[in-house]
Amino acid sequence: MATDNPKKRPVQQSGNPHTGINLKGTFISVMLLGVFILVTWFGLYALFLSR
Amino acid sequence: MHLHKYEKIWLTFGLGSLALFLVIIGFAAFWKGTHPMSHIETIDPQNVEAHDSFKPENLGLREVAEGKYTVNIVASAFNYDFGTDADGKPVKKIRVPKGSTVLFQITTKDVVHGFQVAGTNVNMMVEPGHVSRLETVMKNVGEFTVVCNEYCGIGHHQMFATVEVYE
Ligand SMILES: [Cu+2]
Repeated sequence: MATDNPKKRPVQQSGNPHTGINLKGTFISVMLLGVFILVTWFGLYALFLSR
Repeated sequence: MHLHKYEKIWLTFGLGSLALFLVIIGFAAFWKGTHPMSHIETIDPQNVEAHDSFKPENLGLREVAEGKYTVNIVASAFNYDFGTDADGKPVKKIRVPKGSTVLFQITTKDVVHGFQVAGTNVNMMVEPGHVSRLETVMKNVGEFTVVCNEYCGIGHHQMFATVEVYE
């Protein structure tokens, strides 16, 4: 485990650890996955209703 | 706790989806009565004939009321028993008019089988000791193949039948 590593990097002490991190790519991937899940769910529900 | 603006958006989206689907599950279970096909009712798999629905003379398709049908089936390796026709031949095809309400009742004498009328919403697991039931409205015309979708042994692929819905 990483906690056993004596040479681990010092913990970020800043009050806002996310400052300066660009999360745009993460945001787009997460939303795409969410939209995919919703679209497949409602697609299958429509299939269920039509049969 | 400080959250990044994007984190707030996707956490809201994620929690919103969770709430939405929990409401859907609750609605399906408590308002629509959706539940597993094998109800609490049990049956002796060694002696399914003791159950009224699975007596040999009660197997197969039967019209119980205007537009309402019951289909009783006994599954076993590797056959679906829909009863016999007037010539004593095993029934492998049943026909119902479009729009009829059909209740499928099925049990198994031996191992776990599947019962799927491919192309419709009829899809159940059939477990020894249980009676699986599913009522549906056959709203689409066509020939639908009944298949076993739980691998039950060497003759698994030989378990099939046909449901025809006519105009
Ligand atoms: Cu099978």
